[in-house]
Amino acid sequence: MTAFVAHLDADCFYVSAERVRHPDLIDKAVGVLGNNGACVIAKSYEMKARGVKTGTPIWDAKALCPEGVYVKRDFYWYEVLSRKMLGIVGTFSPKVEYYSIDEFFFRAERLHPRQNLHQTATAIRDHILEAAGLPVTIGVARTRTLAKLFSDTGKPFGAVAVLERDHERELLATLPVTEISGIAGRRAARLAPYGIRSCLDLADADGRLVNRLLTKTGYEIWLELNGTPVTPIRPERPPHKALGRGGSLMGNVDQPVVLWAWAVRHVERLIEELNYHNVRTTALAVEVGWKTGGSTCGVVSIPTPTDRFDDLLDAARVALRRAFVPYATATHLHVLATELRRGKGFQLSLFDTPDPKKDAAAQAKAAVNARHGRFKVRSGVTLYLPAVYADPANNFDICDVRGKICF
Amino acid sequence: MCTAVALALSELPDELVLAHDLGVRIHTRGGEKEVRFYWRAAPALLPVWWNGGLKVVKWGNWDRAERKLPPTGWTWQTTVEAGRWSAMEPEPVEILATYGLSNGVWFRVQQGMRGLLVRTRGGEPVVYMICEPSTRYFRVMTRAEWMPVLIGEVI
Ligand SMILES: [Mg+2]
Repeated sequence: MTAFVAHLDADCFYVSAERVRHPDLIDKAVGVLGNNGACVIAKSYEMKARGVKTGTPIWDAKALCPEGVYVKRDFYWYEVLSRKMLGIVGTFSPKVEYYSIDEFFFRAERLHPRQNLHQTATAIRDHILEAAGLPVTIGVARTRTLAKLFSDTGKPFGAVAVLERDHERELLATLPVTEISGIAGRRAARLAPYGIRSCLDLADADGRLVNRLLTKTGYEIWLELNGTPVTPIRPERPPHKALGRGGSLMGNVDQPVVLWAWAVRHVERLIEELNYHNVRTTALAVEVGWKTGGSTCGVVSIPTPTDRFDDLLDAARVALRRAFVPYATATHLHVLATELRRGKGFQLSLFDTPDPKKDAAAQAKAAVNARHGRFKVRSGVTLYLPAVYADPANNFDICDVRGKICF
Repeated sequence: MCTAVALALSELPDELVLAHDLGVRIHTRGGEKEVRFYWRAAPALLPVWWNGGLKVVKWGNWDRAERKLPPTGWTWQTTVEAGRWSAMEPEPVEILATYGLSNGVWFRVQQGMRGLLVRTRGGEPVVYMICEPSTRYFRVMTRAEWMPVLIGEVI
């Protein structure tokens, strides 16, 4: 018998989590604000309908949606509900993978011999709403890639079970190939000359061609689109939603090179953290706090999940440029990895361009520092911060509490 | 500055709605009715928990009807603590709110905010909203330098 995979994705999770404890927010346009209060990091469907997107600054959001209610984020509470949800799913399935704070994969098994998998998905969805107060969407299919694609089509509060090839093909034909995470921009452009536009086009293409155009990872997606599971469900500890490093600049900073030196220092610290948790990121944010009050934030998405210094340095440069305010005096700076993926062998995201040379350099740097002390080998840019490295107190980070977002 | 509070209509007894003609202040947000108490409204009013009951009282001295009272709707926490109101025999009250409005941003309020109630020479109650300097988060969120003193929470 075929084993089926379910993908569960909570609907506007942070907003739903706020509604669990504050029912007055139900049916209202709600925006959850990020770590500084400057940007909307999650919005309800009502707010989305008004044109507010993830990342929209509060100032634009209130113009688009003046009736909206804005709430300060509380990651601790979201984590609590996420675990509760994980526990509930665990009662329905022997194998659950915590993919992110609001997304799980699990083995779909009928709850009752006379029940089909669509009824099972519906029952689990309804039970989570009843027991945890959270609306979720569940997609069931032969592989993870298919399950995730189909659950997206069911949002919000959907339960979709696609078990037959004809049904799969019918849905795949309606989905542009860019719906698959990791296939956008250049990769989609590489497929276009071969007439590959929908997910079905990709599934029907020659596997060898896909391998040539999109490397092995693309080939694995192709296999999954055709119903051959490649990546198993991995029941293990989840990655964090975001990791960050940063803090006060130990005074006023108005020279761009010094600000950049701080950013590089925090990138190096962030990499330690990413390695510790065995995760990579596809987005890097730099937030700068200014002396006159307020802060600015620049976010850059990175096409391939990475924990490598050269990739993150490029991203940080652009992010800092976006956050930079000329002639202003900075007092704080944070670097954040905001879209985490598992470190190795993780599906959907691993379009890695292998670069053995740079990987080897990163490994050598980590090895020297492990042996001779933290920051013994570090970027030359950070030479603008002699005092920081001269002071041994800075080898410890006050906010290096693992498992917490540092703010 | 917090220039309005909204309270779910379901929290306000019908008698209060009638007595203060609050019908014209009812708005609908996401299908739920709420009463909005704007500083700009005439008369400016606030819902407060006072003497063991929910009352609707005049908000500040917006119409300058009372010469001995400051012609605003707010007072600072430091002013209250320095005892500068003590001659007026003020009473602490809770301003009830589901949401507050600062610079056009509606923020959620868990319980309410602190208010200071004094009386006019005629004995009419008047409430002032007590404010403190904004937290960094609240200032980024609303660009307001002052925030109401919230009960049981920090934004
Ligand atoms: Mg989600």
